[in-house]
Amino acid sequence: MSSFSRSAQQWATFARSWFLIDARMQPPGKLASMSAIRLQGKHKPIYHALSDCGDHVVIINSREIAFSGNKWEQKVYSSHTGYPGGFKQVTAAQLHHKDPKAIVKLAIYGMLPKNLQRRTMMQRLHIFPDDVLPDDIMANLTEELPQPREVPRKLSEYTQEEIDAFPRLWTPPEEYKMK
Amino acid sequence: MVFLTLSCWIRSRGPDRYWKVQEVLKNARHFRGRKNRCYKLAVRMVRRAFVYATKARKLKKRNMRTLWISRIAAASREHGMKYPALMHNLVKSSVQLNRHVISDLAITEPRSFLSLAKLARARQQEGFRAALGDGKEPPGVLSRVAFLQ
Repeated sequence: MSSFSRSAQQWATFARSWFLIDARMQPPGKLASMSAIRLQGKHKPIYHALSDCGDHVVIINSREIAFSGNKWEQKVYSSHTGYPGGFKQVTAAQLHHKDPKAIVKLAIYGMLPKNLQRRTMMQRLHIFPDDVLPDDIMANLTEELPQPREVPRKLSEYTQEEIDAFPRLWTPPEEYKMK
Repeated sequence: MVFLTLSCWIRSRGPDRYWKVQEVLKNARHFRGRKNRCYKLAVRMVRRAFVYATKARKLKKRNMRTLWISRIAAASREHGMKYPALMHNLVKSSVQLNRHVISDLAITEPRSFLSLAKLARARQQEGFRAALGDGKEPPGVLSRVAFLQ
């Protein structure tokens, strides 16, 4: 890279990359913070607010995001249509059913800086509810980011040897009834 | 009557008005609207611009430091460390580089920055290595302060 001419080095330094994140079984807040950092360009040492150094972020499987706790029923998304009596409140589960992309999109929108560049950064964000990507976006992808949350394995995914090898704290007596 | 001829009645009240006005307007030439042309409006706006410039000299120092810090944080995350850990361990290893220099190294000298990050990582994990490891130094890192004799 040291053999590049000055203009070629500049072009390579400020090139925009395309990041891919798989949202399956991930908390949308952690996805949003990772994406917001990369949309602003804060992951680069050459960051400056005015130099438009943000990258593209593609999020797939946004239908399979996983809130922790009771947030699917307790988290409320509010909006107002502008007309009197038009205050609408929707739970996260209802909003996700209506539009599977909205939760991640609103989370990222809230984490970006509240200036005029926020809309351009949102235009560089691409969210897909499923695995299916259009060909031109698939051709542009450069890097896949590791998932923020380690997905725990289900009991059915453990082999019988691993279950047997797991240390037991106590053996229940013969007539013990598990609830 | 003091002024006996016509030519004595002609007064020259202050021959330099043009230049005094231009001295103010030259600082207003890049403004928008009538304030770049009309003296009465320009003089107010030029004073305001100078006040902003005076206040901004202090803000510039603050803004530059936050920019350096965010650049160093981005570069250290590329190498798997966080900014507070990096700076604390560099201070503990008595590396007296300021944020300006470290951010310039992170941009133009990536390998030097990597060596600083490795030094900070070694200093950070010194306790772990003493407790768990085999007492060997990590290869290529000197983290003790050398006392000159």
